[in-house]
Amino acid sequence: MADAVCRVLRDGALEGEHATSLTIYDSVDSPFGPVVFDYIFTHLSSFISSGKSQSRGIVLVAFSRSPSFTSELLRNRGIDIGTSHEWLRVLDCYTDPLGWKERIKDHGAIKTPLTEASDNVSLCKDVRNLNHLFSLILTLGKGLVEDGKNRFAVAIDSLSEMVRYASLSSVACLLSNLRSHAQVSSIFWLLHSDLHDTKAVASFEYMSSMVANVKPLTTENIDNFSLLEQNYKRGHFHASLKRRNGRVRVMREEFFIDNSLIKFTSMVAAGENAVAQSLVPKVQFNLQLSDKERNDRAKVVLPFEHQETGKSVQIYDGRKSGKHESIVVPVEEVKKHEGSGRGEIIYFRDSDDEMPDSDEDPDDDLDI
Amino acid sequence: MASSKVRTSSFSRKVPAAPTSSIPGLKYGPNGTIFLSSGIPDLDKILGGGFHLGSLVMIMEDTEAPHHMLLLRTFMSQGLIHNQPVLYASPSKNPRAFLGTLPATLVSKDDKSLKSDAEQKDLRIAWQYKKYLGENKPPIEERDGKVEYCNEFDLRKPIEKHLIAGNRVECVSLLDCSSLAGIRDSCSKFLSQLPRYDGNITSAGRIAIQSFCAPQCEYYDKEWDMLSFIRSIKSMVRSSNAVAFITFPASLVSPSVSKRWQHLADTLLAVKAIPDEDKELATLLTGYQDMLGLLSIHKVARFNTQVPVILDATTYSMKLQKRRSLVLECLNQAPVDGSSGSSYGTSGGCSSSLNTGGLDF
Repeated sequence: MADAVCRVLRDGALEGEHATSLTIYDSVDSPFGPVVFDYIFTHLSSFISSGKSQSRGIVLVAFSRSPSFTSELLRNRGIDIGTSHEWLRVLDCYTDPLGWKERIKDHGAIKTPLTEASDNVSLCKDVRNLNHLFSLILTLGKGLVEDGKNRFAVAIDSLSEMVRYASLSSVACLLSNLRSHAQVSSIFWLLHSDLHDTKAVASFEYMSSMVANVKPLTTENIDNFSLLEQNYKRGHFHASLKRRNGRVRVMREEFFIDNSLIKFTSMVAAGENAVAQSLVPKVQFNLQLSDKERNDRAKVVLPFEHQETGKSVQIYDGRKSGKHESIVVPVEEVKKHEGSGRGEIIYFRDSDDEMPDSDEDPDDDLDI
Repeated sequence: MASSKVRTSSFSRKVPAAPTSSIPGLKYGPNGTIFLSSGIPDLDKILGGGFHLGSLVMIMEDTEAPHHMLLLRTFMSQGLIHNQPVLYASPSKNPRAFLGTLPATLVSKDDKSLKSDAEQKDLRIAWQYKKYLGENKPPIEERDGKVEYCNEFDLRKPIEKHLIAGNRVECVSLLDCSSLAGIRDSCSKFLSQLPRYDGNITSAGRIAIQSFCAPQCEYYDKEWDMLSFIRSIKSMVRSSNAVAFITFPASLVSPSVSKRWQHLADTLLAVKAIPDEDKELATLLTGYQDMLGLLSIHKVARFNTQVPVILDATTYSMKLQKRRSLVLECLNQAPVDGSSGSSYGTSGGCSSSLNTGGLDF
């Protein structure tokens, strides 16, 4: 549940723990990672602005969207922009990440100002220097919450962009430093999984306490146009949360996109058995009943006279006759057959020469 | 090691009695090997006595669960209790902060009362057999003031301050060096104070490296350098009186390198996370509610012998007994199913605790 994920981010980390961290993955088959990111960002912002969360502020490191997009987004979702300078800071790494526009401006090639100055947007001109980026994030965050016990959250829009500019281990170092900083309460980031190799994806998963995956509905047969079209409106949302007791909680939901708004619905659970099967070894003997077997077992008529079903049961007692073979017997006929329903032993003698010996005591033959 | 005991009958086993070690924390095993305790009594029993002195122990972490930290903590605490020098390396800026989370020994109040109860009753009540099994414990675990080879740890209590004070634990941060030469030098310096001679051993040491290939380390991309580091640690430890304990997240290195590391290990364990609130697992395994995770034992070190160790079971569940001490319980493993692919393991219903010893159902 995406809401459960938002709640975990809202609650943040306990004293002495690393900050809770979330990785959001998507891929080209289901490119709704940014939409999910916006959903989580707006929810967390509403928690923060209403004072319900552990963090008092949020720092957004924007690599792939401009700051004006963020304010539009918040306005559309009904969050009060007017007070945003109290709890939101945006580190703009989108406008001029490598400082090229600055250099062009110095040469006088462009005359218009780069961006409107805004009191909660700061510009970063060198994203390759991750130490500098780290200190910028920290100063912005501390500026929001002031030093002391107060904490802030960090959101990184598109870690994929960051990894383009710097090496994997330095990005990992930045994230782990943020996580272990005492004033950071929670941190989340977006990543496009098909842009990176498995080692990079695994290392970001390693550092996150929650992993959210945006997957397409079906991955087969892209020639089927209707299926393909479905993938552009709906998808699956998988989340796995690492809990404090060391266990992993796995959740699944479906979502659909409606006018760039995302709505989550619960999914019909199918295929839940995969995890259990992989962990516990298989048995040689199949001691489980399949559904068909279970139904068949329920249909078997037990050889007891009183079945409490309201009708008397025809028990097969070894004699073949047409009256006994029908299973469904109407009630009037049952009454006639009651006598024959009771068990009887009929003894057929092997030969007629045999003396009936039921009256004799066999010991009478003995002469003692 | 010639036997010095008198044979009572001609049919007694020809097992040379291992000399009892005068140094606390060391135990002599078969074939001239010496053991160090891992800090978890169940694990020592499974491994045949503990970790071999001079071996390399590697733990494969699960990225989803922090259970390797439990093993690391008990390993380090056991070393501190036995006054053994410990070297700790971790990929954090301040490794010394971790020492505050090491557990203290479990002080159990029940032991003495158990013993006196058992002696008084002549008629034993069968359903309380677990109480009386305690009498059959091997004499190595001596109580009444003597130092035990393997302590039980109370994971909720932090270790006494005097044990981690000062420089008893040497801490190294893996983030400090861009190449591995720095750590290698620290390890070789540490091990040089514990050389192995044929004579008597004075003390044994422990090296604990946590999350060796964590992504925040600068050498993360240099897989061959990491491999040669592990190889050099293994050779250094082999010629000294120490045990090296390295945990690493196996999924973060490429598969071929991960396989090589697994082959380098003398003893290889793996921890695995279990899903939460999983109804299927709850029906398959008893005690699912108390389980923290699973521990698999892939390889057990065998020194000075060609005979391999074949374990009855390789996967154990980790549980917290009374929320304090770590126990390992056996998951009964059924034979592998060949025919149908859709059946489950139902024999998980009888999970026996290792403490029952010879009682197998």
